[in-house]
Formats: sequence, structure tokens, C-alpha cells
Amino acid sequence: MAAIAVEERLFSLVLALIATETGLTRDQVLSTVQGYRQRYVQDRDNSGLERQFERDKDDLRELGIPLEAIDPYDNVQARYRIPKGLYDLPADVRFSPDELMLLKLAATVWREGSLSAESRRALTKLRSLGAGASDPVLGYAPHVRARESSFDPLNRALDRREVVAFRYLKPGDASSRRRVVAPRALVQFDGRWHLFASDREALAPRTFLLSRIVGAVVSVPRTTFEPDETLTARRALDELEVLWQSNVAEIDVEPGSDAAVRLGKRGVVPADPTSRRVNLHFTDVNILADELAGYGPEVHVRSPESLSSAVHRRLRGVVAQHLDAETG
Amino acid sequence: MRVAPRGPDRLAFLLALVPYLQDHDRVSVTDVAAHFDVTAERVRDAVALIAVSGIPGATSQYQHGDLFDIQWDEFELHDQIVLTHLVGIDDAPRFSAREAAALIAGLQYLSALPENADRAAIASLMAKLTRGASAPPTQLLAENSGSAEALALIAAAVVADVQVEFDYLNGEGENEHRFVDPLRMQSVDRDWYLRGWCHLRSAVRTFRLDRINDLRVTERPRTGQLGAVLTDRLFEPSAQDLSVVVELPREALPLLADYLPTLVSEQLADDRCRVRLRLASFHGLKRLVAGLPGIVTVIEPREARRVVADWAAAGAGQYDEVD
Repeated sequence: MAAIAVEERLFSLVLALIATETGLTRDQVLSTVQGYRQRYVQDRDNSGLERQFERDKDDLRELGIPLEAIDPYDNVQARYRIPKGLYDLPADVRFSPDELMLLKLAATVWREGSLSAESRRALTKLRSLGAGASDPVLGYAPHVRARESSFDPLNRALDRREVVAFRYLKPGDASSRRRVVAPRALVQFDGRWHLFASDREALAPRTFLLSRIVGAVVSVPRTTFEPDETLTARRALDELEVLWQSNVAEIDVEPGSDAAVRLGKRGVVPADPTSRRVNLHFTDVNILADELAGYGPEVHVRSPESLSSAVHRRLRGVVAQHLDAETG
Repeated sequence: MRVAPRGPDRLAFLLALVPYLQDHDRVSVTDVAAHFDVTAERVRDAVALIAVSGIPGATSQYQHGDLFDIQWDEFELHDQIVLTHLVGIDDAPRFSAREAAALIAGLQYLSALPENADRAAIASLMAKLTRGASAPPTQLLAENSGSAEALALIAAAVVADVQVEFDYLNGEGENEHRFVDPLRMQSVDRDWYLRGWCHLRSAVRTFRLDRINDLRVTERPRTGQLGAVLTDRLFEPSAQDLSVVVELPREALPLLADYLPTLVSEQLADDRCRVRLRLASFHGLKRLVAGLPGIVTVIEPREARRVVADWAAAGAGQYDEVD
């Protein structure tokens, strides 16, 4: 007999668990549901099949299918079902063609990693409602990257409320330190991804730059955390915004240069047209210092001192790395 | 490009397809494929699977009445789908917490577009996604501020079907006045790009919005190749006469992805590697290397090392020596 395809087994599992009012025990699922029953052996060891069922349950939950376990602490007695009322998209969640157009565009924002797969799946579900989207008038191709390798594990941990550990190289520090945190939100601000999390050591919310997480993000076994409605992505963004507003770099730029054109757009330029001054808001001294070093002599940092010395130190380092002994 | 879907993705498609077929008494495989943006083959496979699926039923034997059914002749002879019996599901599934979050964060990012100035509409759409999720959406947001003014001007030009003009300081430091047929506004994180037909170059070009000065909407109609095919790649390799070898930690390689680095040697200690980059000129190289201080070092040619050292030294010379 040909092997039953994964989707056939999963589809049959969903149908069976929706159809049952009282729930099915694990053994009932394994012995009766298409895709399992072909491999089930009465009164024998079915542990391989049992593990398959565990993985399938995870897959269903990943898809947002509300799988309910009654008496969940007993593997044999537990009964599983999918309450239809929690499965169906609520009747008032329907979308106009304009809304669908916007959602389609929102989904295209993600082109890589798990977010792209998740928004594609969300679009598939939206399409089942039948309506077509109106055509976007304009050619927009907005794109947010999530290239940091820590992004997907953190996003997953966020969803599963798992405590994670990683090594973090704090900007300005020479070596990394292990951090154990409960992830609360992932936000992109000023083009960079930040993790907002409850630090298990500091016992307070902290913000981490994803680009500064070195090595793997690992879940700490058997530790989950309770949701905290005050620790939202909105709050994380607002705090970064406050930080950004409070930090001002005063820099002089060479008129007509790359720096003058590009930084002038981002910063505040004095009304006096002869002035070379640009005031730039920023969140992180070290990151801005990297960027400003690239402009070489086109940029002269006046304040704060921490920024001018950081830029100076970087430039001297670049000189040292590229200096050759003069020959002839 | 279509990637082979994973098991859960294929399940999501089946679960979405059933209520759609229920709402359409009779629909062709081609129409379904177009609607769901999948191949006709995938639709046929899915329908064939749905038609033989069902619930164990009272007998646990998957009897006829416990299964979905379709008009097989219509399906096999005319590629038409007519669902005649339904089991178990009859409505669209909810979103998962992460699916809803991905769309909500995407909407947040789009709210910076001038067309989406109606924040109330976006907020109500986000609320609907939240209600449609089976668990509270995960906390995920992407902020995209700025450039709204320029984007609004370009959008107005597209609607009026006219060219825009502006001064452009390119990556080589040259300033030129351009007339451009706007085709697409593209972004990567916080940076926006205009892609359009450049009348100066008679070719499709990409312009960074932050290098554009004095942007104006003209009265000249768009005349270039509006049907020009835009690839996903923002910058096409142009004349790149300069070839340099740089050394960097392997884990920093993604930082140079735009320059298509080719590996020349990885036999270095501490997970470092050497790659060859192609650039148009020293103008771009010295900015690239000084902007990744302590990460990227130029190895050869010697002249490139000197240009980078001079550039950084000129910058450093503005500051008092301290130790």
C-alpha cells in the first residue's frame, strides 16, 4: 500500500477532530483516522505512531488550529478535539476588495524567512473567503528584511512563550555575555531589528539589537513565562522613539558632499544656508559611529564627545589596518 | 519563483480550498489556480485528495456518506470542480498568532505610505486581523518613517502619468539632472528607492530617495518603456572595473551581499575569509570599508589599501589626538 501523504493525514486529523463533540483519545485517533490507522497495530507497540501524532498536533497549532485537550495531563485518557466555534473565522471578519489589496501588499513586505511563509499562509486563508482584491494603483514594492539568524528562533519563542538564552555583544563592550530573557516583542526601528524582553537577571525589560546577538538562540528547557499586557511592541517602539529623540549628534558636513545630501535629509538643518551643521537623532552611539566613519573627511562630529571619540577611534583603526610601509 | 510547499502549507491550502469551493457551485481548475496563485496541477491534486477524504464516521470505516464528494465526470473530463457533499468544515480557518502578526506588522510598515494616511482604516483592519486570529497575535512591528513627502510627489506623477525631474548625486559622487518615468517605489527596511526609466541614460535605473534633491513633478508625459520588466534586484551590475580582495569574519559576509562577493580563500584562522569584490571605483570602496570599521580590511591591490588609509586619515585628522 502506498504511503499516505502528510497533508492527507493532517487533513483527515482536522476533519476527525472537528467532527467529534466529546473528543477522541490518542488511541482512537491512531486506530481510526486515515493516515494513522494503516500503520496502527492492535495491542502492540505504536510508539513511532504516537510520536508522529505529537508532531502533527504541533503542526496544527502552528497553523492556528485550536486543538483542545481535555484532561491533558494523561496521555492515554486525554481526549482531543477542535471546537468548531474556535476554528471558524468569526462571521464579522470579512474584508473589502480595498482591504484585501492592502493585506496583499502587507504580505509582500516579508520576502524571506518564516515571516514570508506565515504571511503567504495568511493570504491563502484570506483567499478562501472568495473575494478578489482590487488592483493596487501604484507600483509599490515595500520590503522589510529579517536577515539576522536570531530572528526566526526569537519569533518562535515569542509565540510559544519560551524563555531563551543567547550571547550578547553589548555595543561598546569588548566581549559578549550570556543573557537569559523572556521575549516580549520584536520591533524594527530606524532600519534595525530590536528584541524587547524581560531580562531574567536584571528583572526588568531590556532592549537588544538583533545584529549584536552572537551565536545561537536556545530555548531554556521547561521554562515558559506569563504574558504581560504592558510589554507590547508599541511600547518598545515608543521607548526607542524617546531614546532617539533625546540623543542628538551635532555634526558638520562638507557642502555638496555625499554626507551633506544624505545626512541632511535625515537630520535637522539650520535655517542659515551657509551653515554646515546637521543635527541627527540617534539611538545607539556605536552604530551611528560606524556609519559616520564611512563618510571620512566629509563629516566632523562636534558633539557629543562619546560620538566624536568613537568615530575618531574607528578612523584611526581603519588607517592602522591599511597602512603599508612605504616602498621606494 | 514557487517553492515546493511544506506539509503544513499544503494543509492550509486544503482547509482554505474547501469553503471556497462550497461558495462556488461550479468553478474551473484554472480559475481556482489563478485565485489562489498556485499551479493548476496543485489544484487538481488537492481536489482529488479532498474528494476521497472525510471522517471515520459511526462505523470508523470512512463510509460513502462520511466522505466529501464531487462530480467526477465534470472534474476528469472538463477540469471543472463541483462539490456535491461536504464534511466537517464549511468556513475559512482562523489565522495563527504569527500569521496575523506578520500581516499586522506589514500594515504598520505600509502606514508610512501617503496613500495610507487614513490611520483609522489601518487600525480597524489590524483589529479585524486580531479578532480573526486563534490566539493573540505575537508582538511584532516595523516602523517606517520619513520620505512620505517624496513618495507622495512620485505617486502623484504616476497617477498623472508624467515624468519627475530631480538632481541626483550618484554613488560615484557625480551630480546630474535627471528626467525619469517613475515605475516603482521600492523599499528595503528604512530606505526607499525609485525605479524608473531614466531619459538621460535611456535605461531603467534605481535611485535612492536620500540622494535625490529638488524633486519636482513635470508636465512631460511618461514616454519611456513603461512595460519594462523590473527584476527583484535593486542594482544591476554596471561597469565595475575595480576588483579588490578584502578580508573579514565569515559571519560578516551578509554585510557585503550587495557586492556579490566571491570567495578566494577561507583557509584563515578564527573563521575569517577572503573574498573578491567588484566595484565601480575607489569612491565607493573607501566609504564601504570605512563604514565597516574593524570588520573589513582591504588586502589588495596596494593602491586600494592606500586610498582607504588616506580617506580614514583625512577623517581622523579633524580630531585632536587623544590617548
